[in-house]
Amino acid sequence: MSAKPATQTRRWHQERQALPFILPALLVLLGVSLYPLIQGVSRVVYAYRALTQQTVFVGWENFSLLFQDPTFIRALGNSLVWTLTSVGTMFLLSYSLATMLNARALRFRRLFRSATLIPWALPGVVVSLIWRYIFLSGGPLNALLASLGVAHPPDWLTNPQLALWTCIIANIWMGIPFVTIMLLAGLQSVENQIIEAAAIDGANYLQTQLRVVMPSIKKVIMIVLTLEAIWTFNSFDIVFVLTKGGPGSASITLPLYAYQNAFMYYQAGYGAAIGIVILLILLSAVVLYIREVLR
Amino acid sequence: MRSRSVKHILLHVGVILFICLLAFPIVLLVFNALKTETEIFESPMGIPRDITWSNFRHVILDTSFLINLRNSVLVAFSTVLLAVIVTAPAGYALSRFKFRGRTLFSMWLLATQAFPGIIMVLGLFTVLTVYGLINRLPGLIIMHTSFSMPFSIWLLKGYFDKIPVELEEAARIDGCSRLRSLIRVVLPLSVPGLLAVGTFSLLLSWNEFFFALVVMRDNAHYTLPVYLARFVGSGGVVQWGPLSAAALLVSIPVFLLFMLGQRYLVSGLTGGAIK
Repeated sequence: MSAKPATQTRRWHQERQALPFILPALLVLLGVSLYPLIQGVSRVVYAYRALTQQTVFVGWENFSLLFQDPTFIRALGNSLVWTLTSVGTMFLLSYSLATMLNARALRFRRLFRSATLIPWALPGVVVSLIWRYIFLSGGPLNALLASLGVAHPPDWLTNPQLALWTCIIANIWMGIPFVTIMLLAGLQSVENQIIEAAAIDGANYLQTQLRVVMPSIKKVIMIVLTLEAIWTFNSFDIVFVLTKGGPGSASITLPLYAYQNAFMYYQAGYGAAIGIVILLILLSAVVLYIREVLR
Repeated sequence: MRSRSVKHILLHVGVILFICLLAFPIVLLVFNALKTETEIFESPMGIPRDITWSNFRHVILDTSFLINLRNSVLVAFSTVLLAVIVTAPAGYALSRFKFRGRTLFSMWLLATQAFPGIIMVLGLFTVLTVYGLINRLPGLIIMHTSFSMPFSIWLLKGYFDKIPVELEEAARIDGCSRLRSLIRVVLPLSVPGLLAVGTFSLLLSWNEFFFALVVMRDNAHYTLPVYLARFVGSGGVVQWGPLSAAALLVSIPVFLLFMLGQRYLVSGLTGGAIK
C-alpha cells in the first residue's frame, strides 16, 4: 500500500526530467506535424467559388464530388498500380541482388556493395530528369531498340498505355539501393547453420529461401516493404518531372492530382479531400510499420 | 567442381549486370554534360567525342545556379544543425527515462512518415503565413528538420541504449547535470550515430523537392532541385547539355558526402530493423 505513492513520485520525477529533453522535438512535432495535419484536414469542408471569388463552407461536398470525378478514379487506380508493382518488383530484384551480394564466394564484395548504393545518393529530381532523357522518343533507349532492329520504338512518355509504366521503371531503379541494403543487412544476420540444416533436410534453393531465410528476417522485410510502400504511394517527384500525369490523365497519381487541384486550380478543399483519401489508404501500412518497429 | 565454377561465374556476371543497370543512367548523365547539344541528339549513347566544358560555364555564369546553390547550402546545413540539436536530447530522453506518453510520442513520430505531403502543405501554409515564413528559408529548414526526426531520433536512441548508464553515473557523482553528462559523456561516444544523422539530414534536405517547390514563390528563393525541375520548359522543351551539367553539379556534393558517410548511414539504418 505504501509503495504506490513512492513509485508515483518517482514516475513524476522521471517525467519532469524527461520533459526538457523531449521539449524541442515535441514543439517541432506539434507545430510542423500535428497542427498542420489538423489544419490541412479541416480545409476539406471549404471550397473556393470562382464566380463570387469567395471561400465558402460546403460540408461534405468535396468528398461526394470525388467519386463522380473520373480523373480521381483514374488517379486512385494508377496510384495502386504504381505502388504495388513498384514495391513488388523492387522486392524481387533487391532480394536477388542482396542474396548475391551476401554470397561468400563473391569477390570485391565491399566495392560491389558501395556501387549498389549509388542511385540512392542522387536527388529524386535528377533521377527523374535522367530517365526523362532515356525515354525520349529520339533518346538512348529508342536508339538502342532501333539498333536491335525494332522498326517503330514506342513513345514512352507520350503513349497513354506506357506513360505510367515508364514512371514505374524509374521509381524501381531509384528504390533498389535502399531495399537491397536493408535486406542484405537482414541476410547477414541469418546464421549459416540453419541454412545448412535446411540443406541437410533436402530443401532446394527456393524452399530454403521461402521457408527458412525469409521467415527469420521477417522484421526487416516488413519494415522495408511498408516503408517503401508509404514512400512510393506519397511520391511526387518522378511523375511530376517525367509526365506531369500525362498524356491527359494517363499517368496521374493521387499526390500529383491533389497538388494540381490545390495549387493550379485553386481548389484547396478538393486537394485536401484527396489527401485524406491518401491518409486513409496509408493508415494500414503505417499500423503494420509501427508494430514492427516498436516490437 | 565444374558446376561450382559455373555458379561462381554466374554469380559475378549477375552482380556486374545489376551494377551496370544501376550505373548506366549516371554514366549517360556525365556524358551528356560533356557533349554539345547537337552531339547529344546525333549519338544519344556514345562517348563524348570532343569534350566541351561550355555546358558548365553556361550553367554557372548565365543561370541563377549560384543563387539557388546558396539557398540549398543554407537550408541543408541549418537542417543538419537543427536536427542534431533537436533529436539528440529527444533520443536521450527515450533511451534513459520512462515517462507517460513515451509510446504515444514514438508512435506519432513514426506515423509522421506517412502523412501525405498535400495535407501537410495545406496546413503549413496557414502556419507559415501567420509567422511570415512563406517564401522564406527558415520555414523550409523547420520542415526538413521535422522530416529527419523519425529516423534520427530512433537511430540515436539505439546508440544511447548501448552506452552503459554507469559511465554517466560516474560523471553525475562528480556534479554533472543530466544535460552536461549528455554533452560530455554520451555524445562523444555516439559520434558514428551523429554522423549518420548528419548525413541523412543533409541528403534529405538537399534532395527534397515537393515542399521546396510549393513553399518558395520566386526564383531567388528556390533550392537546387526546384531550379533543376524548372529546366523543363513549357511544352517540355529541354536543353539537355546544360541541364545535365547542372544536375551533375547538384549531385556531386551529395555523392561525395554519401561516399564518406555511407558506412555510418547504413549501419544506422539497418541497426534498428535487424534486432
